[in-house]
Amino acid sequence: MKMKKVITITVTILALCLSAGMFAACSSNDGNPSVSENPPANNDNNPVDSPAPASDFDSSRRIAVFTREDGSGTRDAFASITGVGDDMYEEAVVLTATSEIRSSVAGNPYAIGYVSSGSLNDTVKALAIGGVMPSAETIISGRYPIQRPFLIVTNDEKDASSLVKDFIAFALSAEGQEIASDGWTSAGNTGGYTPIGLSGTLRIGGSTSVDPLMQRLRAAYIELNPNVSVEISGGGSGTGISEATSGVIDIGMSSRSLRDAEKEALNEYTIALDGVVVIINNANPVGDIDIETVKDIFTGEKTAWSEIND
Amino acid sequence: MRGVFFTAALASVLAVALICVFLFAQGLPPMLKIGVLDFLTGQRWRPTAAEPSFGILPMILGSVYITGGAVILGVPVGILTAIFMAEMCPKPVYRFLKPAISLMAGVPSVIYGFFGMMVLVPAIFEVFGKRFDMMSGNSMLAASILLAIMILPTVISIAETNIRAVPRELYEGAVALGASHERAVFKVMVPAARSGVLAAVVLGIGRAIGETMAVRMVAGNQTVMRMPYEFFSGTRTLTSNIILEMGYVERGSLHFGAIVATGAVLFVFILGINLLFSVLNQDIEKKRNKKGAG
Repeated sequence: MKMKKVITITVTILALCLSAGMFAACSSNDGNPSVSENPPANNDNNPVDSPAPASDFDSSRRIAVFTREDGSGTRDAFASITGVGDDMYEEAVVLTATSEIRSSVAGNPYAIGYVSSGSLNDTVKALAIGGVMPSAETIISGRYPIQRPFLIVTNDEKDASSLVKDFIAFALSAEGQEIASDGWTSAGNTGGYTPIGLSGTLRIGGSTSVDPLMQRLRAAYIELNPNVSVEISGGGSGTGISEATSGVIDIGMSSRSLRDAEKEALNEYTIALDGVVVIINNANPVGDIDIETVKDIFTGEKTAWSEIND
Repeated sequence: MRGVFFTAALASVLAVALICVFLFAQGLPPMLKIGVLDFLTGQRWRPTAAEPSFGILPMILGSVYITGGAVILGVPVGILTAIFMAEMCPKPVYRFLKPAISLMAGVPSVIYGFFGMMVLVPAIFEVFGKRFDMMSGNSMLAASILLAIMILPTVISIAETNIRAVPRELYEGAVALGASHERAVFKVMVPAARSGVLAAVVLGIGRAIGETMAVRMVAGNQTVMRMPYEFFSGTRTLTSNIILEMGYVERGSLHFGAIVATGAVLFVFILGINLLFSVLNQDIEKKRNKKGAG
């Protein structure tokens, strides 16, 4: 009985604390923005009153920043190139998948996010960075600044194997690079590929960003080499690099450049270039932004769309 | 033959024991390395920064707030539904209501999460976004509403069972003394089932605090210290912290250890809630036995 009383009391106190907090917030919030109940504020919600459709966009609203989780290769590349580094805006909403970022940005007029160019579609709007739109040409020439290589890496022993050699030759050939340029950007090819009738098993693993491209390369390769089976596992760039170094897998996938120490132990091949595209909602009139502003938005220096000069 | 049953029983105990050993063997060393106090009361979670910091207080609070909100929103609805189903429901309605609630319990949490992401989050942003200067609809409020819906089947079915278990004589006595049906139910039956209803709430809390998938999709996942009244802002829970960063983390790193340690903290939370539940259950048993004797 005594125990029960104690429990009842603690539960009640907890519930009271929480509800008190909520009521406090309600009343304080109800007090401040009473302005919004005035007729002028309602005009924003009424498109009939506004002459141009673009004025639906209220630039005084807060920028909704969407970012990927700590450790993601896309976030890594984005943060290091834009200079955001470790100072990612604390209030930014964290989501774990490119598709979640894309659908969240599509559903929120004031949103900004970033995705791999391979997952871009017309539900969202890509921003030009310093006047340069992400495209095959601007990514190859390096004029579009936020980009990263998709690498496959092997250690010396595996690199000598004829099956590994053949697969890499296929990935870099005209056939392989045609696949890479559908969604990503090809960095150039080594000419035609002819299968030489090998058999065996290839183990490939690493970056989940490279994975969609690798899946398609695998399908095309197996069609040409029916006696070869290719196993692809995930785990991220770090896992791919370390397992390729130790030889647990034949080929590692990485969506970031190799560090100097890693370069010594591995042979690297660039199978595609990937632009990291900054995306906003289709209703947002902003079309061009410079990289400094991207940094300011993603570090939380600029928090309203009115602070962004198109 | 008895041996077979005994082995079967042992399997589940063994599973829990193994999980326990894994969590604490893998989780304690990194926690000690970070510093237990720094880990539990640290306000910054920057696992991959040049100077990393591993503080999970924002997530502990996030779990508590979101669960608290779900209890405040979901429990009254759940208990009233349970009372309705046990005492007032016409048979044809019950025949429809009961399977509907069972179905609710069977819907996978990712479906709830998807619903939250596509419907709840935009709706909250539409209604409150401008007024409260919200960044997006991903918020503690969205997570609490979603969890309130998700704990309903647990709360309803356990509360209903316990109200039904109250001896019918109590009700008949109250009515014989001139109480109306409602008065008999609310003043006699429900108070008699009090500890059972409380047990339903505790189990609901356990369900809410352990929920991962749906919460991750709507809560915003920021690792910022929040106050309980900031429910229009997002936060991260213990569960989502694990699932968010599990995918890319390097095995064996301190970051990995810190994530396992987060799991250990969550495990302790769940353990506490289950302990509370079994204490309440014992209380119910005792009462029943007393009634049987009297």
